[in-house]
Amino acid sequence: MAYSEKVIDHYNNPRNVGSLDKGAEDVGTGLVGAPACGDVMKLQIKVSADGIIQDAKFKTFGCGSAIASSSLATEWIKGKSIDQAETIKNTEIAQHLALPPVKIHCSVLAEDAIKAAIADYRAKAGAKPKAAE
Amino acid sequence: MRLRGVLPRLTTPNACWSCRGPVPAAEPFCPTCKAVQPPGQADHFSRLGFARTFDLDPKLVERRYFELQRKLHPDRFATRSPKERAVSQAQATSLNEAYETLMDPLRRAAYLLKLSGIETIGDGKTVADPALLMEAMEMREALAEARTPAEVDSVVSGARRDAEAATAQLSRDFASEDLEAAKKTTLRLTYLDKLIDDARARRLNVA
Repeated sequence: MAYSEKVIDHYNNPRNVGSLDKGAEDVGTGLVGAPACGDVMKLQIKVSADGIIQDAKFKTFGCGSAIASSSLATEWIKGKSIDQAETIKNTEIAQHLALPPVKIHCSVLAEDAIKAAIADYRAKAGAKPKAAE
Repeated sequence: MRLRGVLPRLTTPNACWSCRGPVPAAEPFCPTCKAVQPPGQADHFSRLGFARTFDLDPKLVERRYFELQRKLHPDRFATRSPKERAVSQAQATSLNEAYETLMDPLRRAAYLLKLSGIETIGDGKTVADPALLMEAMEMREALAEARTPAEVDSVVSGARRDAEAATAQLSRDFASEDLEAAKKTTLRLTYLDKLIDDARARRLNVA
């Protein structure tokens, strides 16, 4: 299967690889996995007092599409409010990266990781979560 | 996908394609005219003459497989009619699939769960079990940081021990019919097996 140029670019030069301080009050951590491929993805956000994502980091063990999806996700959510970031859909990620049908689940993983990180941040901040999706 | 679910037809005899006589399900040959029968919809357990259980003796699985394999191998049908050749080929394929599924603890567990309507690895869903994922992440990090063959081997032997423990746990989960627990353990074993596979590739790179 041929990867798209964008996937290869993110795979070779992943953006925002790394970790934030899991214990910090203003950091939310999302940890999700895709059992079918044994993928595991960690995505972290650092959120300002007014709800803007100042920094995002990820660490993904998985195929090229999973790495590219999480790399792109961190790029997209940086500078957005958590409410905006929460509306990102896996289909947008899949479309941007031109993922083939068998790799769509990688973009689902990235969407779920964003949501999990936001949920974790909200739980920590004690903020009222928005209505469940 | 070969499995089409558990149908009531399983217990009712089919008619032999050759002599129209009754053939019990999972019976590879017609009792009347001895013609080889299509594999049908028998599950992997009944195909090899086992009840649906996680605890199988691999030696016995192997023995039953080779017994049937001997009778059903397409080579034995080389001089028969095209119909019999095709049917024996389908039997051999189903038999191999049953054998491979029952011999591997992970595939056996996932298959047993599937027979109970529980999808594990193929459902495309993401898991959000923090303990499981944390463990997977740590093992992955340890493997990524391993720089020498000895370091890789140490990650692998740790994962092998965990995989054995998970297999023993599966046996208890299924024995107590706790399918939710069995699903969790199956997912854990999926991650462990995948890590062991990837470590093998990594071993070649650091050697």
